[in-house]
Amino acid sequence: MTAALRRFFDHDLWWSFTRSPLTVAAALVTLLFLVAALAAPWITPHDPFDPARVDLLDAFTPPVWTERGDPRFLLGTDDQGRDILSTIVWGSRISLLVGFAAVLLSATLGVALGVSAGYVGGVYESVVMRLADVQLTIPGILVALTINGVARTLVPRELQEAAAIWVLVLAIGISDWPKYARLARGTTLVEKNKEYIAAARVMGLHPLRIMVSHLLPNVIGPVLVIGTIGLALAIISEATLSFLGVGVPPTTPSLGTLIRIGNDFLFSGEWWITLFPSLALVLLVLAVNLLGDWLRDAFNPKLR
Amino acid sequence: MTRPLVEVEGLARRFDVSRPWLARLLAREPRRFLHAVAGVDFAIPRGTTMALVGESGCGKSTVARMLVGLLRPSAGRIVFDGTPLDPDAGRKALAPIRRRMQMIFQDPYASLDPRWRVEAIVAEPLDAFGLVRDRAERRERVAELLRAVGLSPADGRKYPHEFSGGQRQRISIARALASRPDFLVCDEPTSALDVSVQAQILNLMKELQEQLGLTYLLISHNLAVVSVMADQVGVMYLGRIVELAPADELFARPRHPYTRLLLDTVPDLEMRRRERAPVAGEVPSPIDPPPGCAFHPRCPFAERRCRAERPALLPAGPARVACHAVEEGRLPA
Repeated sequence: MTAALRRFFDHDLWWSFTRSPLTVAAALVTLLFLVAALAAPWITPHDPFDPARVDLLDAFTPPVWTERGDPRFLLGTDDQGRDILSTIVWGSRISLLVGFAAVLLSATLGVALGVSAGYVGGVYESVVMRLADVQLTIPGILVALTINGVARTLVPRELQEAAAIWVLVLAIGISDWPKYARLARGTTLVEKNKEYIAAARVMGLHPLRIMVSHLLPNVIGPVLVIGTIGLALAIISEATLSFLGVGVPPTTPSLGTLIRIGNDFLFSGEWWITLFPSLALVLLVLAVNLLGDWLRDAFNPKLR
Repeated sequence: MTRPLVEVEGLARRFDVSRPWLARLLAREPRRFLHAVAGVDFAIPRGTTMALVGESGCGKSTVARMLVGLLRPSAGRIVFDGTPLDPDAGRKALAPIRRRMQMIFQDPYASLDPRWRVEAIVAEPLDAFGLVRDRAERRERVAELLRAVGLSPADGRKYPHEFSGGQRQRISIARALASRPDFLVCDEPTSALDVSVQAQILNLMKELQEQLGLTYLLISHNLAVVSVMADQVGVMYLGRIVELAPADELFARPRHPYTRLLLDTVPDLEMRRRERAPVAGEVPSPIDPPPGCAFHPRCPFAERRCRAERPALLPAGPARVACHAVEEGRLPA
């Protein structure tokens, strides 16, 4: 264990990490969001989703440092008297959940299709990759909106609220697979001509076994890098869909839903309802993006 | 006389190098084929080494890849230990033969999966062919294999990048030996290694051949390596064997003009043969090979017949040579 730890701290990656203060800051912010999201039930000052604990009389309380501020609500409250800070923490939880799940879905889908297309080749490869090309010509948000709409009509009405998150994951996940498929296919095309693949073929291994045990571990590195950047994009997609009103319902708001709710009151002077969730979203996406950028550079041998 | 372990008859492979269908249609051009291997016959007796030599692009690696089943032959057949190989047979049906033929690759940096530990790499054939019953037996067999190629069983815990090129090639050999094969195809096994390491690997291969009675097909462009290793040498030019001879005979009395050219280009430290027949020119394209003898544009002895008629591989002493000049006896000995 200590040997593994020592290897980790001796590694190039760790060295390049500590050399970049911006990356360290981004990692800390991301970590903060992750911890906050995971520990939301225990660290939030209020439970914004318990109707019994939310008081409408607290509605539209401005942040604490303003004139009418209330020390109970650090960043103020929204139109229903819910504590903004608490809803942001809960909202990040949902945003991150949707983001991770969507990236997992699109990366799994993309890598499976990309690796198999690259390895098998022929008509199968052409069909898969042209499909990816076609989908790439359509704006991702449009694809997500369409899938979202179709999935919603398929889900029974009484389940819609509960299923909303998973419909979002499905929509964002499917709208994003071509990126991973292209990357995975490209890497596979390089790897499959290496002799270790030939050695496995000489043994007569099943193509599926070669793909899973040899190609996948060698393709996954670049996919992780793109996945990190993809996480930021998925969070934005979720926020966009929620902002447009087709995402998660206001009863369990994500950051995007919070921004949309606040947007309604922006012109009546209650700026804090939309500003703080927006800042949180910007901070989260920026941090994850910076991490992804650093990972991409760190894994690129040409930039070392 | 016992039957050779490996027999190859009329083996050929062409590659479709046509442009895409639409581009071809618009330019009204026909399909184009590259004849990488255009009919090759040889047999390798059990326990011996056959070498295929030639310049890059002559098709020697393609022959190797067809033998181990990485490429499907366009024509011809391969008979292994009396059994013809059927490329259409299923994976299961081919497994018993695949177990008996393995391959050692050229690039020791690409032939080992960088994400696998050495023990997993060496054990891969054991798992693929179901040759071990339990983990203990597997570990024992891997240790035995690593020792056989001069590595320590403790090296099994490491990753390939922790080894030098020569050590990696030893790992590659250990993997090839894992399924107890009879026949090893070695595609330029030492050409990526330092000269000082090459000899070690070649010695290891010779030792293993003696101990285990292995049969080798050695693909090489390095005549020094061939002279050390081979019992029989096939010289390939543009997809065909132009001379097939016992190794000592070939090096002592090269017959085909191309073989002479190859031997003349070996640096001669003692400067014994200072008069070199300069042979100019490059290897012609295998997409559009010259008519008659493929070597005639570069051959100092070419005549009209060489430009029109393709020479057959005919016996000449202990060798077999495809050359009109040799057949007609108009070459200086």
